[in-house]
Amino acid sequence: MVIDQQKFEALFKAPEGEEARCVIRAMDVKKTYRIGQQETYALRGATLDIYRGEYLSIMGPSGSGKTTLFNMIGALQKPTSGKVYIDQVDIAQLDTDELAWLRCHKIGYVFQTFNLIRVMTCLENVTLPMAFAGLDSEAAREKAIHILKMVGLGHRLLHKPAELSGGQQQRVAIARALANSPEIILADEPTGNLDQKTGEEMIELLARLKKELHVTVIAATHDLKMLQTSDHILWIEDGRIVKAARPEEIDFTTSEFG
Amino acid sequence: MIQNQVKLPLGVAFGVVMQGIRIRFGRSLVTIGGVVLGIAFLMSTLAGQVVKEGVQEEDRMRTETNRMASFLAAEMGPPLNRVVGVIQTGPLNEAEMRLIRYLIDGGLQKLQWHQASGETPVPTFSGLEPSLVTMDEVARDASGVLLVGSGGMPKQIAAPSALAELLDGAREKVLALTRERQDLEAPGVSVVRLARELSPDEIAQADEDRRNARFRTAWIVLISLVVTIGGIANAMLMSVTERFREIGTMKCLGALSSFIRWIFLLESGLMGAVGGMAGACFGALFSIVVYGFSYGFGSVLISVDLVRLSGYLLLSVAAGVVLSVTAAIYPASVAASMVPAHALTTNV
Repeated sequence: MVIDQQKFEALFKAPEGEEARCVIRAMDVKKTYRIGQQETYALRGATLDIYRGEYLSIMGPSGSGKTTLFNMIGALQKPTSGKVYIDQVDIAQLDTDELAWLRCHKIGYVFQTFNLIRVMTCLENVTLPMAFAGLDSEAAREKAIHILKMVGLGHRLLHKPAELSGGQQQRVAIARALANSPEIILADEPTGNLDQKTGEEMIELLARLKKELHVTVIAATHDLKMLQTSDHILWIEDGRIVKAARPEEIDFTTSEFG
Repeated sequence: MIQNQVKLPLGVAFGVVMQGIRIRFGRSLVTIGGVVLGIAFLMSTLAGQVVKEGVQEEDRMRTETNRMASFLAAEMGPPLNRVVGVIQTGPLNEAEMRLIRYLIDGGLQKLQWHQASGETPVPTFSGLEPSLVTMDEVARDASGVLLVGSGGMPKQIAAPSALAELLDGAREKVLALTRERQDLEAPGVSVVRLARELSPDEIAQADEDRRNARFRTAWIVLISLVVTIGGIANAMLMSVTERFREIGTMKCLGALSSFIRWIFLLESGLMGAVGGMAGACFGALFSIVVYGFSYGFGSVLISVDLVRLSGYLLLSVAAGVVLSVTAAIYPASVAASMVPAHALTTNV
């Protein structure tokens, strides 16, 4: 079986006329952590809509609640109060099996530290989520090879993560995120552990995927280059969304990006 | 449109586990080592019991045979060139077989055998074939008549007069009993009781000794198994902590909690099986070698009950698997209940 690019892209396409669908909606999401007697607010009420095919960057200093917001909209953690809808489904209503299905099929995660399974080869890392989705191993293999070729790693299929450079590892991670043709890619500082040049390549890759496959990319970042590629930028500070803008509205020479 | 995540076949988890064990081979070996030690201890205790009981049984049997043979010789003289009659009432026990073999080895001329029970086959002996005769002929020219077998006393000789008549043609009027029998008396006939009667006190004492020994062994084995479970649980917990990030990542990719639980249970069970097999073999070998040095390898190897020993081997391997899986229940549920977001933010 050979996958052709058109068929592959069709896996990602939303039904006709739904291009502007809201894929993630967060309404007044709050999250508190209890440490001993003291309650700490990680998120004091975040409301946002994210549309299909959008490239959204989230900025904020460390401890601002960025990662917490990420965990909420990525269905990795349930909010203390407020609602998160992914694809119009309230995630608070889902049981663990359904959450696992959602994480498997709707969202692809990319982490700052890559988080590849180090005992597996590149190919196995990419086929693992397909196995979780119940795809048979032959079809999974074909699809994984196709995706790995697409991210430029067709020649590294049987290498272990430890044998790859940081940039290559992050490409494998992106390939893994695409495994089950998700609508959303959540990337937490995807360029944080990479040098300038490799980071730029990663940003280009994400932008290309967004354009070709119409996936929604949500990235937490400090990277100026990444902001310029985005459709929207959000600033989060002290658990609140304090500012939203389009890149063309911003003067990138000032120091407000820290 | 949200569905339940598919339950993966165990084969997938098995693949992940095998890969993990292969890659983390050194660490797996340490865990397996714990199982090997625990199971080797269990098996050496069990095998030791089998070997010891075998050797002791052999010892007891030899003493018993010698005693019976010298009792018999005191009445009818040494077996060389003599004729002995045997009345068989049922299957022979080991001591009776050995006694007859002893007589044959002593140079017996003829073994006149009467099969009184009908159904049981006549045993064969190397060196001298029993010549089958009728009850009337069994004592002819015999230096003595043995009454052997598990069956009851044949009617023909139960009455004193019949017994006297039976032994009429014998050279020595001796009837030797190898088992507990009712009182027999006949004029001119000496009835020799070869079987030794244990007093109720002796039986009770032996029983209690055996019970105490078993209890002591069981206690030591139990403690060692508990220690082994603790060791494995500790190793598995370490392994879970080490893999926090990996588990969290798998959960992000859509792994169900049950899948994660299976990974750890399977991994532990596999290591338990391997460790159990190695431990059982080491333990059995250890016991045989140690008892071999004190009792002699020859008598250990002859007397050991192989069926019981292989039963214990299987039991030990099963114990290895059960222990390991039991020990992994808690670590596996720690891993399975992890919130994926926590797993990703933990720096290990």
